[in-house]
Amino acid sequence: MKNKMLYSAVVVLSIFFLSCENDNEIDGVGKLVPKTVDQDASLPSIFVNGTQLHAQTFGNPNNPMLIFLHGGPGSDYRNGLNVQQLANEGYYVIFYDQRGSGLSKRHDKNTYSIQLVLDDLTEVIKYYRTSADQKVFLFGHSWGAMLGTAYVNKYPDKINGLILAEPGGLNKKLLDDYGEMSRKINIFSEVTSNLLYVDQFITGKENQHEILDYKYGISSSFSYAKNNKEGIPGPSPFWRIGTTVLESFTDIAENDGFDFTTNLNQYQTKVLFLYGELNQSYGLSFAQKEAAYFPNSEISEVKGTGHEMIYFKWENVHPLVLNYLNNLK
Amino acid sequence: MKAIVVLITFLFSLFASNILQAQTINWENLKTEEKHILSVNAGWDYSFVYGFGYGYHLKTEMPIILESSFSFASGEVIFDDFKTKIGGQINVYQFNNFHFNAAIHAIYRRYGNPLVTLQNFGAAASTTIGYYKPKWFVAGEFGFDQAIVTHFQHSEIYKEVYPDVKNGWFEPTTGGNFNFGIQGGYSFAKSDLTLRAGKVMTEDFETTPLIPFYLQIGYSYKLD
Repeated sequence: MKNKMLYSAVVVLSIFFLSCENDNEIDGVGKLVPKTVDQDASLPSIFVNGTQLHAQTFGNPNNPMLIFLHGGPGSDYRNGLNVQQLANEGYYVIFYDQRGSGLSKRHDKNTYSIQLVLDDLTEVIKYYRTSADQKVFLFGHSWGAMLGTAYVNKYPDKINGLILAEPGGLNKKLLDDYGEMSRKINIFSEVTSNLLYVDQFITGKENQHEILDYKYGISSSFSYAKNNKEGIPGPSPFWRIGTTVLESFTDIAENDGFDFTTNLNQYQTKVLFLYGELNQSYGLSFAQKEAAYFPNSEISEVKGTGHEMIYFKWENVHPLVLNYLNNLK
Repeated sequence: MKAIVVLITFLFSLFASNILQAQTINWENLKTEEKHILSVNAGWDYSFVYGFGYGYHLKTEMPIILESSFSFASGEVIFDDFKTKIGGQINVYQFNNFHFNAAIHAIYRRYGNPLVTLQNFGAAASTTIGYYKPKWFVAGEFGFDQAIVTHFQHSEIYKEVYPDVKNGWFEPTTGGNFNFGIQGGYSFAKSDLTLRAGKVMTEDFETTPLIPFYLQIGYSYKLD
C-alpha cells in the first residue's frame, strides 16, 4: 500500500513538472526584462566613454541642445518622452539612458562613480554637438536633476541653462531629509508586503542583472501606492531598472557621502526649479532650500501633479520649460 | 470537540500558508502521551506575517513530529502573499539535556502585487542544536530555503513595461536563502511560549534580502 502511494506521488509529480509549459531560466536574456543595447542591435545606441548607451534624438541637430536626464539612479527616459515635444519648438532634444540604466549596457557594481557618469555626459554632449557655439541645456528629473546639478557644479561654464524637476537632494543631508519625508513605511501594510515578501521567491547575486533588474522592476508599485507622499497617481512607463547602478550609487552615498553644491555659486545663469503641487515630501520650502545654493534661480509650482510631473502633467510642465528655454535661447 | 479543533487547525495550516522554520518545540517538555501540538505565531519573515501550525507527535523511539503550517503576510489583501509548509522534524540525538534536531519541509507559497503573481514550490531544511530543560530551552538554528520552481503570471501593467515578458514556470531555482539564529522558550503546563530571531542571507553569502532579519513570537499548546 505504502509503495503504491509512493509510486502514485512520483507519477503525479513527474506529470506536473514535465507538463509545465514555457520552461524558462530566470536569468535568461529577454525572458523577464527587455534586452539591453548590447544584446539587441535593433535598439538605437551610441558608443561613448567605454560603454554603449541607449539613446535617441529628436529635432534639428543644429538647434540648441536640450539633454534630458532621467531619474533613478537606474531608471530610464521612457517616462520623460513627452519632452520630445520641444523638438518641434526649436530644440534638438536628446534622450539617453545613463550608464547601467534602462536599456543601456550593464556593468559590474564596483565600476561606477559619480565622476564616471559626469564624464559620460561630457561625451554625450561631444557626440551630438554640431558646432562649438551650439547652446547646451540640461533638463533633469529627480536623480537626473541631481546629476545635472553635479555637472554644473563641476563644469559651470559648459551649460547654458538648467531645469531641475524635484532633485531628491543636492547633498547627502538633503537626500536624507527627502528620503525621510517620502519613504515612511508601515510594516503592517500591503505596500510593505509587496515590496519585501518577494525576497524569498527571487534572489539575485551581485551583477546578475536580468534577475536584479526584474526584481526591482516588479517592486516599483511601491512608489505609487495609495496615499503615497509623492503624489504619484499610478504607474508610469519604464523599460528596465538598472538595479546594480542604483545599489552602487546608494553605497557611494552611504559610505562616502556627496555634495553637489560646493561650487554652485560659480553658476550665474538662472536655474529653473519645478516642484509638483501634490508632492507632500518636496513642496516650496524644500525647493527654496535647494535653490538657495544657486546665485540665480526661479521656482515654479506645477499644478495638479506630484513627483512624476513630466509624465502625468506635461501640459503644465511644458509652458514653464518652454518659456525658460526661450528666454535663454 | 478536541478532534474538531485539531482538524480545523490542520486543514487551515495545510491549505492556507508558515514561517521560515519548523514549529519551535521544547523537546524536554514534550511528553510521550502528547500527540497534538497546536501553535500560533507572529513576527517578521520577509515581511510581517501571522502563522498557524499543527504538529502530530509520532510514537517512535526517536521523537518525530509531522507538521503542517501556514502563514500569511500582513496587509489589506490577506491571501495574496502566503506560505504553506508540510514536513517533519526529528530529535536526532540527545546527550543529557542537549538535543540535536533536524527538520525538512516542502513549501508552497504565493506572492502577488499589481505587476505579477508568483507561485512557488520549494523546500526548506534546518537543524537546531540546543540545551533543553522541562521549563525552558535555548538553541541555535541554521536553515536553508530554496525556491525550486516558480510560476510567473504578469499583469497588464507589467506587459505595458515589457510586452514580450514570458509567463509560465521558471526553473531551475529562482532563489534561495540561508538563515541562522537562536530560539528559546518558556514552558508551563501544556504550553510553550517561544521566541526565534536571526539573520537571513542569500545563497551567495554576500547579498541579503532588503530586511535581512527574522523574528517570531509563538505560542504552542499540546493535547493528548
